[in-house]
Amino acid sequence: MANENIRELLKKSDFVMIGVCVLLAAACLFFAAKSAADAGNFLTIDSLFFTAVCLLLALTFVVVPALTLRERGIHPFRVGDEVPPARANEHVHFEGSTRLFLYVLLGLLALTVIEVFLAYIHVPLHIMLTILIGLSLIKAAMIVAYFMHLRFERMSLVLTLIPTIVICICLLFIVFPDSFRAGSLRATHTSAEPVAGSAPAHDGH
Amino acid sequence: MSTEAHVGRLPATDWDGGALPYRVGHRKLGMWLFIVSDAMTFSAMLITYSYARVSSDAWPTPFPFYPSIIFSTTMTLFLLASSFTMVMAVRASAHNRLRAARHWIGATMFGGLAFLVLHLIEWEHLIHDGLRPFRLAGEWAHRWPEAPPLFGASFFAITGLHMFHVFTGVAYLGVIALRIGKTRHEDVEISGLYWHFVDLVWMFVFPLIYLMSVDFGG
Repeated sequence: MANENIRELLKKSDFVMIGVCVLLAAACLFFAAKSAADAGNFLTIDSLFFTAVCLLLALTFVVVPALTLRERGIHPFRVGDEVPPARANEHVHFEGSTRLFLYVLLGLLALTVIEVFLAYIHVPLHIMLTILIGLSLIKAAMIVAYFMHLRFERMSLVLTLIPTIVICICLLFIVFPDSFRAGSLRATHTSAEPVAGSAPAHDGH
Repeated sequence: MSTEAHVGRLPATDWDGGALPYRVGHRKLGMWLFIVSDAMTFSAMLITYSYARVSSDAWPTPFPFYPSIIFSTTMTLFLLASSFTMVMAVRASAHNRLRAARHWIGATMFGGLAFLVLHLIEWEHLIHDGLRPFRLAGEWAHRWPEAPPLFGASFFAITGLHMFHVFTGVAYLGVIALRIGKTRHEDVEISGLYWHFVDLVWMFVFPLIYLMSVDFGG
């Protein structure tokens, strides 16, 4: 019983030691980044020295817990190729080949290049906006359908999610046409303003 | 058609309340619902920005080809590439190749970090030029005298919120990569959903914020 308690205490103290070391290493890394960022010209002896010292300290604090864990045969983050217990009874549903995802990626890249190219053509603002948003919607649909796997999910999920977001975004657009009017409203307002607005100011002086 | 007639039988259609009407776990459904709500947040912000822009007499178009457009296009390529590596991570995880999955997630995190670094450099340029949330940079006020001072507010708010999502995503993927031996495949897939959503939002932020503000003279 007492033996077990000591073992548990040791475990706890090890845990505390490792935690403190990792925290100190993180702090040293932070100071290394800070000294690198604060130095106006990074490639000076001073800035290189301070950054190197901080990195060395961080390494020192990481090495101790890493060696301790390794010595005791503890590999908290190692994964083997055997199926871990958490996944043993899981039903996995995955469709799509590497080739398909590569095609989607190439399509997305091509659309991005077209968008950047279009941005340098002089066209009226609303036509440009329509084309860019149209291309972006195609890209979004490709990401949702293939990368987010929605095309291979059950239709009930698609019918729950997609109409929801489409209708909500359409509702957000209800007030949008006002923005076309707002400009002209303000123009008449500012042209009338000098008469109404300057009168009290002149009265004051 | 009485209820008794259904007792002991599996539901025949999607909608009569089986154990999994959507055939996804509750966590995945939760992430999908979060994504829908987050998409509404971003669309509200982007629509508000468009509203302010359309209703203004003028709007600054300050982004020169170099560095802004080159930087933002490179950032887009990094995000798209990281989305592809994330798909490959989910694929590897689906086949229980955990080591490969971890490496692909690492590549995804690299893409996200590269995006963050490039974007912070871009922010630094603009802040150095004097752009503030409610004040235009010095020279801009002369070039676009009729423009309202809202450019900085919309730019920093929208790209800042997106950058926060990228940062959160990198941290989230880091946790998933470290714990991949203890998680289920579904958890990897859910983190993938979040990452693709971050990518998807940028597909709208990039044209609306950057490409619509290209400086033709630059």
